[in-house]
Amino acid sequence: MSHLGDRLSALVDGELNGAERDRAHAHLASCEQCRTEAAELRALKQKLSTLMTGAPAEAAMTKRLIALTGPGGPMPARRGLLRVARGSRRAATRASRRPGARGLRGPRSARRRRYLMLGTVSLVVGLGTAAFSAGGAGEAAPGPRITPPVEMYSVEHAITTGQVPFAPPQTSPAASSSAASSSAASLP
Amino acid sequence: MFSSSFLVSRRRGEGRSPLLLAAALVMALPGFLVTACSSQPGTGTAPNEAAAAAVGSVAAAGKAPATERRTSSAQALRLLSQAAQAAILMSYQGQEVVTRWSDGSGSVLVSDIWHVSGGQTVTQTLAAGNSLSSQPYLSSDDDSQAPEGVLGVTAPLIRLLETHYTVVYAGAGSAGNRAAQVVEARREDGSLAARFWLDDTTKLPLEREVFDSASHVISQDMFIQVRFSSQAQAAPVGGPSDPPGPWADPLSHAQLLALPTQGWLVPSGLPGGLLLFTGARTTTSTGTVLDLGYSDGLSVVSVFEQRGHLATKLDGWQRTTVDGHVIYVAEPDQRSLTWSSRGMVYTVMADAPVQTVDAVVGVLPHDTPPGFWKRMSRGFVRLASWVNPFG
Repeated sequence: MSHLGDRLSALVDGELNGAERDRAHAHLASCEQCRTEAAELRALKQKLSTLMTGAPAEAAMTKRLIALTGPGGPMPARRGLLRVARGSRRAATRASRRPGARGLRGPRSARRRRYLMLGTVSLVVGLGTAAFSAGGAGEAAPGPRITPPVEMYSVEHAITTGQVPFAPPQTSPAASSSAASSSAASLP
Repeated sequence: MFSSSFLVSRRRGEGRSPLLLAAALVMALPGFLVTACSSQPGTGTAPNEAAAAAVGSVAAAGKAPATERRTSSAQALRLLSQAAQAAILMSYQGQEVVTRWSDGSGSVLVSDIWHVSGGQTVTQTLAAGNSLSSQPYLSSDDDSQAPEGVLGVTAPLIRLLETHYTVVYAGAGSAGNRAAQVVEARREDGSLAARFWLDDTTKLPLEREVFDSASHVISQDMFIQVRFSSQAQAAPVGGPSDPPGPWADPLSHAQLLALPTQGWLVPSGLPGGLLLFTGARTTTSTGTVLDLGYSDGLSVVSVFEQRGHLATKLDGWQRTTVDGHVIYVAEPDQRSLTWSSRGMVYTVMADAPVQTVDAVVGVLPHDTPPGFWKRMSRGFVRLASWVNPFG
């Protein structure tokens, strides 16, 4: 008994007409070897058909992108990082163009932008506050810190006016010394 | 005033011959008539002055009031000049009572003064609870350059008084149980600005009153229990051998003119008609201090300048505002004001009406609060200087 041979693959592909397909099926019913080969051919064809669909490729790409953006691994070299970033941006762009891939950018990227904006605002406000505080203490002109020597000035002023130095008014009774009597008091 | 004037006239006429007086009166009759018709208010007509004026022609007699005013002013200025000289050349001692009124309240201070002829003056004022002037204050006028005087009667101030006021002789009076000659200073509007009592014998100033423009007394100074020459005793404390104060001799006119080129602010005048009339300089541990004296003959304002900034904490000073400017006032005398601006500390001491002091403070430099952008700009520059490793 002769086996199906090339007609077996034609049967699997559905290329045989009615009479040939009936004779092939009758042979398969009596020949175990040809049935086994036909089953293998169908399994192979199904695998090939599965490889031609896109879902598994998308899943793989997503895993690679997550692996690039996630923490834990050492930072790549700066040039490499740029390349990777460029590559991931291209991949993300490509992915975003596909239907059903809108959520690929994700909340992590938005969070990073918020952090960046918050940090910038904090820096500007902090620097502004520091500058405002530092700029309000008057001109930073050189010179010592001075408490006017009133007594010395008072004597000089008395010489200028041709009068005795006028001491501050006192509320206590007149003080006196053995050398000379003197007093100062407030009038009502 | 008029009665005093005639008192003086009678006293001065006592030494004259009756015949001479009669002749003078006859010749002065037309002048008297013109003077009476002119009815100049506030002018005391002394017979001896009128007689002197009437010695001229009848036409000249028509100018008698002006002549009399000039004569009265000349006599008043001569008396004040003699008073300033007496304060330097005579030896005397006594008590000076200084009274100041401001805002309805007054303060009085009593000081002992000893002065040696042509030499030094020792003043001692003991202010209870305050060290100010508790030690003898010594001033020297060896070179006759320092504006030494009693009750503000000094040669420089008399010159300013003559410039700003009409000085007239007001007759005789008394002060401190001593006979005195009275001199008045009047403003342009005729109001009384000050009155001086000068000792009749020595011309030493015995009393002075100063009035504000509303005719209120703002200061009254008296020199009492005065003893002269042989009566004067040596100063018991801090005798003339004490070293002079830290201030050098007054700056010359050329030195004053050169000060602005050295970065000092030297206004030629201040509000209230105050003119720069003296200046001195000294060196302290914190740098050079410049003193500029301004006056109109009665009010005196000293402006002290020193490079630097006011200390953060000023004991004995109270923060206040004058004309919108933040300044510090010495407690409790309220006569000393200080503030700093553009790297200079200004301290003002004043014997002047409050309005004049406020105006003086207003025209001197003050720091204005910087605008927002200027402040930010200055702050960024400072921050940059702080982080600059080469700065």
